[in-house]
Amino acid sequence: MNFLRGVMGGQSAGPQHTEAETIQKLCDRVASSTLLDDRRNAVRALKSLSKKYRLEVGIQAMEHLIHVLQTDRSDSEIIGYALDTLYNIISNDEEEEVEENSTRQSEDLGSQFTEIFIKQQENVTLLLSLLEEFDFHVRWPGVKLLTSLLKQLGPQVQQIILVSPMGVSRLMDLLADSREVIRNDGVLLLQALTRSNGAIQKIVAFENAFERLLDIITEEGNSDGGIVVEDCLILLQNLLKNNNSNQNFFKEGSYIQRMKPWFEVGDENSGWSAQKVTNLHLMLQLVRVLVSPNNPPGATSSCQKAMFQCGLLQQLCTILMATGVPADILTETINTVSEVIRGCQVNQDYFASVNAPSNPPRPAIVVLLMSMVNERQPFVLRCAVLYCFQCFLYKNQKGQGEIVSTLLPSTIDATGNTVSAGQLLCGGLFSTDSLSNWCAAVALAHALQENATQKEQLLRVQLATSIGNPPVSLLQQCTNILSQGSKIQTRVGLLMLLCTWLSNCPIAVTHFLHNSANVPFLTGQIAENLGEEEQLVQGLCALLLGISIYFNDNSLETYMKEKLKQLIEKRIGKENFIEKLGFISKHELYSRASQKPQPNFPSPEYMIFDHEFTKLVKELEGVITKAIYKSSEEDKKEEEVKKTLEQHDSIVTHYKNMIREQDLQLEELKQQISTLKCQNEQLQTAVTQQVSQIQQHKDQYNLLKVQLGKDSQHQGPYTDGAQMNGVQPEEISRLREEIEELKSNRELLQSQLAEKDSLIENLKSSQLSPGTNEQSSATAGDSEQIAELKQELATLKSQLNSQSVEITKLQTEKQELLQKTEAFAKSAPVPGESETVIATKTTDVEGRLSALLQETKELKNEIKALSEERTAIKEQLDSSNSTIAILQNEKNKLEVDITDSKKEQDDLLVLLADQDQKIFSLKNKLKELGHPVEEEDELESGDQDDEDDEDEDDGKEQGHI
Amino acid sequence: MAYAYLFKYIIIGDTGVGKSCLLLQFTDKRFQPVHDLTIGVEFGARMITIDGKQIKLQIWDTAGQESFRSITRSYYRGAAGALLVYDITSTRENTLKIVIGLSLMFRRDTFNHLTTWLEDARQHSNSNMVIMLIGNKSDLESRREVKKEEGEAFAREHGLIFMETSAKTASNVEEAFINTAKEIYEKIQEGVFDINNEANGIKIGPQHAATNATHAGSQGGQQAGGGCC
Repeated sequence: MNFLRGVMGGQSAGPQHTEAETIQKLCDRVASSTLLDDRRNAVRALKSLSKKYRLEVGIQAMEHLIHVLQTDRSDSEIIGYALDTLYNIISNDEEEEVEENSTRQSEDLGSQFTEIFIKQQENVTLLLSLLEEFDFHVRWPGVKLLTSLLKQLGPQVQQIILVSPMGVSRLMDLLADSREVIRNDGVLLLQALTRSNGAIQKIVAFENAFERLLDIITEEGNSDGGIVVEDCLILLQNLLKNNNSNQNFFKEGSYIQRMKPWFEVGDENSGWSAQKVTNLHLMLQLVRVLVSPNNPPGATSSCQKAMFQCGLLQQLCTILMATGVPADILTETINTVSEVIRGCQVNQDYFASVNAPSNPPRPAIVVLLMSMVNERQPFVLRCAVLYCFQCFLYKNQKGQGEIVSTLLPSTIDATGNTVSAGQLLCGGLFSTDSLSNWCAAVALAHALQENATQKEQLLRVQLATSIGNPPVSLLQQCTNILSQGSKIQTRVGLLMLLCTWLSNCPIAVTHFLHNSANVPFLTGQIAENLGEEEQLVQGLCALLLGISIYFNDNSLETYMKEKLKQLIEKRIGKENFIEKLGFISKHELYSRASQKPQPNFPSPEYMIFDHEFTKLVKELEGVITKAIYKSSEEDKKEEEVKKTLEQHDSIVTHYKNMIREQDLQLEELKQQISTLKCQNEQLQTAVTQQVSQIQQHKDQYNLLKVQLGKDSQHQGPYTDGAQMNGVQPEEISRLREEIEELKSNRELLQSQLAEKDSLIENLKSSQLSPGTNEQSSATAGDSEQIAELKQELATLKSQLNSQSVEITKLQTEKQELLQKTEAFAKSAPVPGESETVIATKTTDVEGRLSALLQETKELKNEIKALSEERTAIKEQLDSSNSTIAILQNEKNKLEVDITDSKKEQDDLLVLLADQDQKIFSLKNKLKELGHPVEEEDELESGDQDDEDDEDEDDGKEQGHI
Repeated sequence: MAYAYLFKYIIIGDTGVGKSCLLLQFTDKRFQPVHDLTIGVEFGARMITIDGKQIKLQIWDTAGQESFRSITRSYYRGAAGALLVYDITSTRENTLKIVIGLSLMFRRDTFNHLTTWLEDARQHSNSNMVIMLIGNKSDLESRREVKKEEGEAFAREHGLIFMETSAKTASNVEEAFINTAKEIYEKIQEGVFDINNEANGIKIGPQHAATNATHAGSQGGQQAGGGCC
């Protein structure tokens, strides 16, 4: 620089000129020279003067330089010089040559020149367009100039960039510049650009800033990277802090997963450079930005879940338990873990399961608590541990129960030499270190926060004070120490614990009042006129007494609500009491603590209030004031209201339970409905099957009916109600006919016989006349037919049997169906009561059910009809059987008749034969006598015609004989 | 979480037409009858499936008010898809009322306003950006002022996809977002989009991109070294 300046000075202006004149000359040359070289040299000279004579150059040359930027864009060299010069006059960064005391003045200079420069918005737009120039000599000074403009007058410049088209997008391209210097200065530019401007932050994020910055961090080696990593982390923080939209984008873009490798710091103690500590610190803060308790609850919890799922929390916990980690990193890691687990059950459960790699392994919680109650640990670390413990217990009833249980008699003895969280807390509560007292008291109070069960459980805790003395309850010990008048932090801590413990817990209040020393101590504290120091303790005592009144269930006669109030009025005075109570929220540290959950105190003296306790005060201050002012009558009314409220509460809880139950029922019913639907479908298919079966049966039955009808037609003539009996009427009629025939035959034969007899008589009378009678029977055919009949009957019977079996089967199926449908019908109406949704479903199902029922009813009817028909058939069968029996009897009679007639026939045949012989002999006698015989042939042929198959042989024999 | 493609969308259109409600219905499946005025832009995201591929949609819901116009313009360039929303019941001067026909002469400025949106989008976006015209509030049939045919005609005339939706009843909301994605997907298949240029609002999923990223990284490193020394 010195060399340059010397050269330039010598060339352009003589040593006799003052600087102002030189600058004036140079400006003239820049403005008027037609030669580019001339102008370039002049600008270069201005640049060399601009650091030392910032004011002069700024005032005189600014206008000309801007003009150069507008007109000489084709020459990157002159543009570069101009930008450098402008940077020098605007920037406050390089102040090597400026003394300390003039710093302020130079800052003013910078902002004034910035104001002049941005007065014309086009100047900024011009600068933005110059950044598109790839030339290093243009782009780099351009970036630096814009950065310093943003640093000087951020909001104004941001606004100009925001409204210039594609302004932000262009600047984002700097991150993709392959030249590291420009990329790195681009990061710085974006830092300045995004500072507290949500709109720009979002655009930058939209332009893939997260991706690019995370890539740069990875490329640079994460926490081992240099200052570039730090710059990127600061930019990331700018983009994410208090910007919900960007946080959501960050989470949705799966960038949380990319943070995990940041915390993979080995156990080796080698590398903890200052840069690495800074980087890690920023990385931890970035995690905290995403899960800050001030973010919308939904956003924080989804980030917390993502951090557990990708293993980030686990990674942080390994740092927590690692050795050789610098204290401030460890502290910040504890704070980070705290906020990652706060109010998130899964993460809290995981944290409870983390063990320190010691021998034997101890839970991380215990190891941390050991640090909290250890005086030698750094104050910030102890605060961080307390925060971690609070976050672990926040909305974590399970964790609260586990901590309190380590104090209960049942679990204490068994563990022996290992220290439990509860023991550490008790140790801290009663140690001589007031900070430990305070921390332990607050920690214990958090184990009771909004948890009535644990408040009651903690009453059971007994402490062994010294050998020989009886054990003292924890509550008793707290009040004992309180009354001993120790350091303010100890007493404040204990009072906060007691207030938390007693609030919303009448049993604890009773226990507290049971100790007759407590109320006089409190009234004494409040009534005394003490210095400012003690005002806070007085306020807390008033709060405790107020809680003892407000949550008093009047179970102790000596300290009923009314009596306590009278006591206040007599000893303290209502006004005085309320005034003392008001000291709490008027305390200067109160509002500080109420802002953030994290216990963050600049020094140990400020450690007074706990965040959750401030919430309790806010909640109770008003109601206690009211309770104190209220008369006894009002109190009673209040009591009643309270009771009704409680009733309402119980009603509400009752309804809640009912709703829960109904929900369960609903679920069950839904399942039932689905199973019923299934069943219904099955049943329907069964029904259709059965319907088809029934149809088959019907068909079979009709077939049978037709057959039976035919049969009965056969038997018709023999039976009275042929259609009713319907069995074999035809055959019987046939038999009858045959019998009739036979009879006529017989008659014929008899007549023939009679003729023959008369003939014989004639013959006898004259000579001898032959007579024959032939009778045949059809009984054989008859019996065959009956056998057939019988067979048919048997098949009919078997058919009937099978049918009846099927019918019974059907009936049982139907019975099952009915039962199912009944079960259906019983279960169906229940959902109708619970919910309308279900109701519609059930009506649907009921509809189907009724349809089903209808169908089954129809089926039933059909089955009934069938069975009726069956019985009818049976009757018919019976009657036909009886008719058959009658027929058989008749047949038998007929057979007997037939045999009789056969015998007669035989007799007649014998007679005939005799007569034949007689005739023959008579013929012979006649022949001998010389009489011709003519009737012989006639007789013989007539004989053969009349003979039946049975008697054929006989006839032939007879014929031949 | 792994996706094949990532598409960036913007939702644009006049104030009060239901842009934020459309986004809320798409991402959270709920409807909020009273919605605060959007300040600048708000972000939302959801995964969808097209052609068996997981596609992540990142959606920027922009403020409709004129005063935010310069901010919202910054989002056009980096978006692959835009939903241009109007209100079918709108009786307001500044939203699309009557798009075509004779009334065009009487309602010239209203018409110009909708076309202004389109011109704005076309001017600041990459040329391949897919624009879906959406007539929202289709549930309010009784108060309808813009016929469906009019919207269709406008879309046809300007080469847009068109759909009527209701953020309240969720009717066609899924379809609007998904159909836009389908159009983009088809353009990718046709090779219209340069998928390696993230400025187009399209990104290939991590499994595909892994090789690309390392390649680009080493290249950048070399160049940076040269430039610095």
